[in-house]
Amino acid sequence: MLFSDRSLWTMLHGLVLSGGAFMLLVTALFALRAMAAPDGASVPARQSTGFAGLTAAIAVLLWMSVLGGTYIVFPMYRATPPEGIASLADYPRALLMSNADTRWLHAFAMEIKEHMPWIAAMLATAAAFVARRHRATLLADPALRHVTGALLALALLLVASVALLGVFVNKMAPLW
Amino acid sequence: MDNDAERALLPNGGALGAVLAAGIGSLALGVFVIANEAGIFTAPSLYGPSGGLSGRSTFAVVTWLVAWGILHARWRDRNLPAIRVLTWALALAGLGILMTFPPVWRLL
Repeated sequence: MLFSDRSLWTMLHGLVLSGGAFMLLVTALFALRAMAAPDGASVPARQSTGFAGLTAAIAVLLWMSVLGGTYIVFPMYRATPPEGIASLADYPRALLMSNADTRWLHAFAMEIKEHMPWIAAMLATAAAFVARRHRATLLADPALRHVTGALLALALLLVASVALLGVFVNKMAPLW
Repeated sequence: MDNDAERALLPNGGALGAVLAAGIGSLALGVFVIANEAGIFTAPSLYGPSGGLSGRSTFAVVTWLVAWGILHARWRDRNLPAIRVLTWALALAGLGILMTFPPVWRLL
């Protein structure tokens, strides 16, 4: 079989959900700048509802990624190998911890990956709520635009950092 | 509702409550993580295969939602200084991020 169930879950978590959120975050930040209107100007409904939908999609993708990561992928990662097993290839955490050169990937990278995505999801949800609640005026309201942009930018920074660490972990100890 | 009507009728407090609540939720997660690492408080594991992460994250999400609900109820009819609220939210989120950063809790 080309891909196992475990590797498919990992790809869904990392590439589809987190990768999708990453791309939409970049898109939303660009859109926020490109579609900005002068203070108080009338904004076309298509733009304002489109932006609100974009931020909602980011929040949904991030929550799906965070919940899937915590409750589906992480348990597979942290499974304890049975005594006397010959190869740790199926037990990523044990595999990383068995080598001094890769131990940091658990002690640093995975510890960050466990927690920071939750913060990104909360920030993205707040941005989506602001964009939805004030969809008619957001693009023409510099203060609310600034608030939304700051939340999305911080979420993007966190998602990008965590994604990079995920690539490192998956390179050394993939879920086959 | 057109733009002018929304601007006149919809105060920004409800939206800013969500923003500050995200900062509070982020800080809560950091506090649960660092309290766990310091041995002060360990959130129970709510789902065995995920270990303590399930408890820490659930407690933080509950804190976030409760804070959001309270702030929404108190602020939804008010207009507030957006940048000041954002600054507080980012400061709280920054603290939360710092507290989930392993080199920080290794200093304990």
